[in-house]
Amino acid sequence: MTVAAQFQQVTQRFGDFTAVDAIDLTIPAGKLTTLLGPSGCGKTTSLRMLAGYSTPTSGRILIDGVDSTRTPPERRGLGMVFQSYALFPHLTVAENVGYGLKLRKMPAAERTRVVAETLDLVGLGHLAGSRPKKLSGGQQQRVALARAIAIRPKLLLLDEPLSNLDARLRVHMRAELRRIQAETGLTVVLVTHDQDEALELSDQMVVMREGRILQQGAPIDVFPAPANRLVAEFLGYENFVTSADGTLRTVRPEHLQVLGQERRADGLTLEGVVVDVAFRGVDRLVTVDADDSLGRTVRLTADVRDGAVTARPGDRVVLGADQAHVVTLAG
Amino acid sequence: MNTRRPVAATLAVAGYVIMIVPILFVVATSFTGGSTLRFPPEGLSLRWFDAAVHHTPFITAMVSSLQLAALATVLALLLGIPATLAIHRGRLPGKGLVEGLFLSPLIVPELVVGLALFQQLMIGLRLDNFTVLLIGHTVLMLPYAVRVTGASLALADPFVEEAARGLGASPLRTFFTVTLPLLRPGIFSAALLSFVTSFNNVPLSLLLQSRDFRTLPVTMLDYVQQSYDPMVAATSTIILAGTVLVAVVAERTVGFARIFGGINR
Amino acid sequence: MISRRTGLLVLPGLALLLAGFLVPSAAMLLAPPGVSPADILARLGQMLTDPYDLTIIWRTVRLGLIVTLICLVLGFPIAYLLARSTSRWSGVLLALAIFPLLLSNVVRTFGWLVVLGSNGAIGQLLLALGLVDQAPQLLYTELAIVLGLTQLFLPLAIISCYSAVAQVDPGLDDAARGLGASRTRTFWGIVAPLSGPGIVVAATLVFAGSATAYTTPYLLGGSSQRMLSTQLFSYSSVSIDWAAASATALIMTVLVFVVSGLSSLAARRGRTS
Repeated sequence: MTVAAQFQQVTQRFGDFTAVDAIDLTIPAGKLTTLLGPSGCGKTTSLRMLAGYSTPTSGRILIDGVDSTRTPPERRGLGMVFQSYALFPHLTVAENVGYGLKLRKMPAAERTRVVAETLDLVGLGHLAGSRPKKLSGGQQQRVALARAIAIRPKLLLLDEPLSNLDARLRVHMRAELRRIQAETGLTVVLVTHDQDEALELSDQMVVMREGRILQQGAPIDVFPAPANRLVAEFLGYENFVTSADGTLRTVRPEHLQVLGQERRADGLTLEGVVVDVAFRGVDRLVTVDADDSLGRTVRLTADVRDGAVTARPGDRVVLGADQAHVVTLAG
Repeated sequence: MNTRRPVAATLAVAGYVIMIVPILFVVATSFTGGSTLRFPPEGLSLRWFDAAVHHTPFITAMVSSLQLAALATVLALLLGIPATLAIHRGRLPGKGLVEGLFLSPLIVPELVVGLALFQQLMIGLRLDNFTVLLIGHTVLMLPYAVRVTGASLALADPFVEEAARGLGASPLRTFFTVTLPLLRPGIFSAALLSFVTSFNNVPLSLLLQSRDFRTLPVTMLDYVQQSYDPMVAATSTIILAGTVLVAVVAERTVGFARIFGGINR
Repeated sequence: MISRRTGLLVLPGLALLLAGFLVPSAAMLLAPPGVSPADILARLGQMLTDPYDLTIIWRTVRLGLIVTLICLVLGFPIAYLLARSTSRWSGVLLALAIFPLLLSNVVRTFGWLVVLGSNGAIGQLLLALGLVDQAPQLLYTELAIVLGLTQLFLPLAIISCYSAVAQVDPGLDDAARGLGASRTRTFWGIVAPLSGPGIVVAATLVFAGSATAYTTPYLLGGSSQRMLSTQLFSYSSVSIDWAAASATALIMTVLVFVVSGLSSLAARRGRTS
């Protein structure tokens, strides 16, 4: 694995507040790395330090093996897409995309060609002469993307690029991002608070919280095995159960079932009273008040066609999950 | 609509009468054939326009006013635009205080400022009156230069400059290719307001005048003290015509009312 | 942020402010040439007790308040009607109200000489109507000054009130009317209070301007109706009495600051309530 960039014990403090707390992070080349976490976790601060818009209080940032901690942004050769897109309103789409190329003294003819190619890559070839304010949100976002890609950056940095888009467009753009990254082979670092986005896009997921990295790895490794409760909660795990010997375990709503007459599950068993059954089209969401010292509510989804689930509010049920689906957490 | 609120409409009409009618009278009087400010005028004539245009003190004063206004406007922008950048895009301790300082000339009575400069700079430091006038006018215009351009900056996405830096532009490059174009409407509005404010200024120009350099409003004021004839009316009408032109240009480029909205929060 | 050192760009402007405004002003107010602070204080005390000076101070404050009141009473309706108007004339009317601000005070005030003078329009009109035997001299009276200052500052009042009313959601009017409130009730209960801060700004601007204006009181008041500004000019340019000038300047400045301060407080209180 080639390393595109590295954070070495990077800390960022603003007065008394520590935004990023001594993190070590490796960004592999040619892959898409996601910094994932709730707001305030330090992911955007880290991205901005990587881009050069703020200097770490301590630690080093290496880009292509070179210590770039104090290098100004214009000399890092990175491409960044801002959450608000930050398009230049007084320039056309083509001029926006060509801005970085003009700075690099690319001759006009070649510049036009590269701009056209990049706009085609993002699907906006027909809008080269338009002004940003005439474009929709999704189009503006793609112009911002094209502008960053056109300069063939060492790294492509994306700060919550999809959060201003409506749901359907977001889903479409996720696929687009994957395609563009595959076609260009760029190293991408993406910041998001949306775990679905991170799961779908990442080659490497970095879960952050309160300035620290909780867990990192490929989605396929991280998702089924969250390291602790914080990561699990962020990934959408519910139903946390502490057993008698003190171990904390969790199981996703999709893997918890209402047990029929057999009443057998090798992972986890719970009893309780049904509180609510909600029809959600693809499934039913069943909320159960578990017989637990804390009276916890537990949620599970049940396939609509599952005849066994005729549970109604007030029914007493036994729930169970297979061992394979039960995750033991560190705490 | 107006007939549904008779009280409001009446008050509104009274207000407009007070604002506009005196100016109409000035214009009317400038066409008089007589030699007093009597109304109704005795006959119609353009003689007073002819007199005004040939009256040397007025011509000299008009040129002086234009020179001073132009110079002071340029100076105010050269100092004010960097200040706006520092306040809105820089890391400045006590940003609010600094901005308040730049707006402070608006709060102190102009006569007080004029007296201070007259006494301390002109008499005390023996600076020539043009220099002191220039300083005084520039100071009076700094609030416009800072506030109005600041409004332009505030409307723009604060990250465009970072975007330019990220794409490879040095801070200076960023300023000229991104920030300045964004500031253009604000700069134009500020320039217009400043120029007009300087041209029309009385208190400062009055206290800081000298035999060799006087502005037009001051000369007109002086003239009114000595003779009560319609030449001042004619000069006023000429100025009015010029100002209407300026207003039309302002409306076409930036939008007239918006210019003033910028200074009143 | 453009660069780390962008903050330094403030220095040249700050330097001019200091050297060309703050320092000279402070020096003039507190220690003019040949005059000690004690002299100024003495003269100040004199002014605050001498009946002649007190008349001038009181006239300045009184006329300022009257002009402020008139500007609000006339200006707010104009602002309200324009802000709520859907007709295409509202833009023209607004421009007409703002335009005079581009003219010098000399030009704007000169018109009153034509209107109010003994040979002027009103005088001749009253004479023609047979209401008087001799054309009255309306110039050099407090009425003339009030009219002149009102003309000067009405546009400012309109601008402030306009922005204030424009920010009040017209939907609130509809909501109130829908709930049964009469038009008057809606106005006094909703629009007026919400425009409050803007009205306070308008009042402050008008008062500060009226209390410190020079050209208009000079042209329309003459030597019989002196105000603080004309007095100040006299001390500065005619009698060259630095102690008196500083004392007068102090009174003027304090007056304006106090009013600004009070209005800020009123605005803040209005915002929290």
